[in-house]
Amino acid sequence: MEIKRKKKFKFDIWEAVIVFVLALLALITLYPFLYTLAGSFNDGNDFELGGVWLLPRKFTLQNYATIVADGRFWVALGNTVLRTVIGTTLALLFTSGVAYGMSQKELPYKGFFRTFNLITMFFSGGIIPFFLVVNILGLYNNFLVYILPSLYSVYNMIVMQSFFRGISQNVREAAVLDGANEFRVWWSIYLPMSTPVLATVGLWIAVMHWNSYLPTLLYTDKAESIWTLQYYLMRIIKDASMPEGGLVSENVTAQTVSFAAMVLAMLPIVCVYPFLQKHFAKGAALGSVKE
Amino acid sequence: MKEIHKKFNSRNYQLLFMAGCGAAFLLIFSYLPMFGILLSVKDGNKSLNILQAMLQSDWTLQNYVDLVADEKFWSVVWNTLGLNVLSLLVNFPAPILFALLVNEVRSKHVRKTIQTITNFPHFISWVIFGGIVIALTDMTTGVVNPVLELFGLSSPDNPVDLNMPQYFWTKMILVSFIKNVGWGSIIYIAAISGISPELYEAAIIDGAGRWDRAVKITLPMIAPTITVFLLLNISRLLGNSFEQFYVFQNSANLSKSEVLATYVYSTGFTYRNYSTAAAMSFFEGVIAVILLSTSNFISKKLAGRGLF
Repeated sequence: MEIKRKKKFKFDIWEAVIVFVLALLALITLYPFLYTLAGSFNDGNDFELGGVWLLPRKFTLQNYATIVADGRFWVALGNTVLRTVIGTTLALLFTSGVAYGMSQKELPYKGFFRTFNLITMFFSGGIIPFFLVVNILGLYNNFLVYILPSLYSVYNMIVMQSFFRGISQNVREAAVLDGANEFRVWWSIYLPMSTPVLATVGLWIAVMHWNSYLPTLLYTDKAESIWTLQYYLMRIIKDASMPEGGLVSENVTAQTVSFAAMVLAMLPIVCVYPFLQKHFAKGAALGSVKE
Repeated sequence: MKEIHKKFNSRNYQLLFMAGCGAAFLLIFSYLPMFGILLSVKDGNKSLNILQAMLQSDWTLQNYVDLVADEKFWSVVWNTLGLNVLSLLVNFPAPILFALLVNEVRSKHVRKTIQTITNFPHFISWVIFGGIVIALTDMTTGVVNPVLELFGLSSPDNPVDLNMPQYFWTKMILVSFIKNVGWGSIIYIAAISGISPELYEAAIIDGAGRWDRAVKITLPMIAPTITVFLLLNISRLLGNSFEQFYVFQNSANLSKSEVLATYVYSTGFTYRNYSTAAAMSFFEGVIAVILLSTSNFISKKLAGRGLF
């Protein structure tokens, strides 16, 4: 004990250097978000002069007011919230059901299912053939194009499957003796016992839904009624265009307004991040066991 | 038929149904698109829609002939390859090094804080992260130019235009680094935490220093994980995150920012040359398979382990 205590407080020059390097990296990672936050609260024309680096120089809420007054923002936000809530719920149910089936020893043709799943992790047709399938299924310009293709992912299935395998077989056998069928065992026994992995994978899926803009760009006609939040942001950033309609003040620019939009879109991620942080390492480690 | 019925009980069928749902999903959303590659042997360019291109156009190999003769295509391939090889050299070892460094920090509190911050960008969309980087590299309002001035690489009278094509590769590699180094290290940190502490204790008794322990114990112990990720990364040398490149691409930097992923997009979606775009996707897929099996073969010969 005595030796351990001593060691802990011994100053180590190399450790100091390592901490310094890592702290510098953390600072470089953190800074862009502080810059964005400062810009979002700064007068647009004043920002153009340069030098707004850490704190707003000429404080204003006009940037946020401009976004909030833009009807397209609310439509895009609505679509995104809808796809995140519905998409995540359905994907969790679907993926966990498949993972349950795949995790049981009594599943026939196990090797086939395993290979059938793994192959898709290495080969894919690409965006054009996928576009063809979207058209065949009638998903083009359909809200379901946001939901159905992300119902299932092999990686998430593997993470859940590893967790399910860790659940004692005794629990399952007791339920089976009581006459519960497999769907019942999955629903009433495995799911309630799997909240950590459901939370982890659920948050991953939710973040994916929240951050996605590709389906809007590729598989819709890009009418404003089907926009998602990230697509809306991309239009503001790439076109450097001001939101239309509502009040557009003289004190804002496309740049500062886009900062405000980015901060608003990041807010939910920042809110769930502590939960993500708590679980993700465990989940990612679970997934790596099978890889 | 009777035998099959005997072989499986109702429980087997229920499990088959559950696993089968996943297989059915993959059949539709992963395997069916693989057959969509057939578009590349159809004369479907400029069709009004993609279904028409698939169903009504004639069979042809012209798309591949055109592709091989297309100079733009090859310049895009070389651009993609060059950028990705450089990116691999930086962004593949970075998370490993990061994990080793984090492992050396004894204070749990410091470790957690650094990881919390560096993991954060992974959860931010490319649109937002890209938007922020574009703002940071702006000539007048950005921060990168003033920082370069500190090192004498830029001046207020003659600021560096970081949107010029020649800076695009560096920008992409650094941006990928910041966004992925923390998250990418998780798997290695998990692997390191699985190493038996006794190994380190024995090494310390033998007088091994920090460096010896990292190189002679930690690295060999996580080598299997490193191999898996190296092989996966090599197979993606022609693949890029479209989401990343589309955000950063503009007409000014096109000469350096056009990668296969974005070229397939503009060919297929902007110009509706569906068949040519499908041919490019097929080319990319074939190269990925070749790269993966070759590197897997080499890895098995040299290190005695591979993916399959």
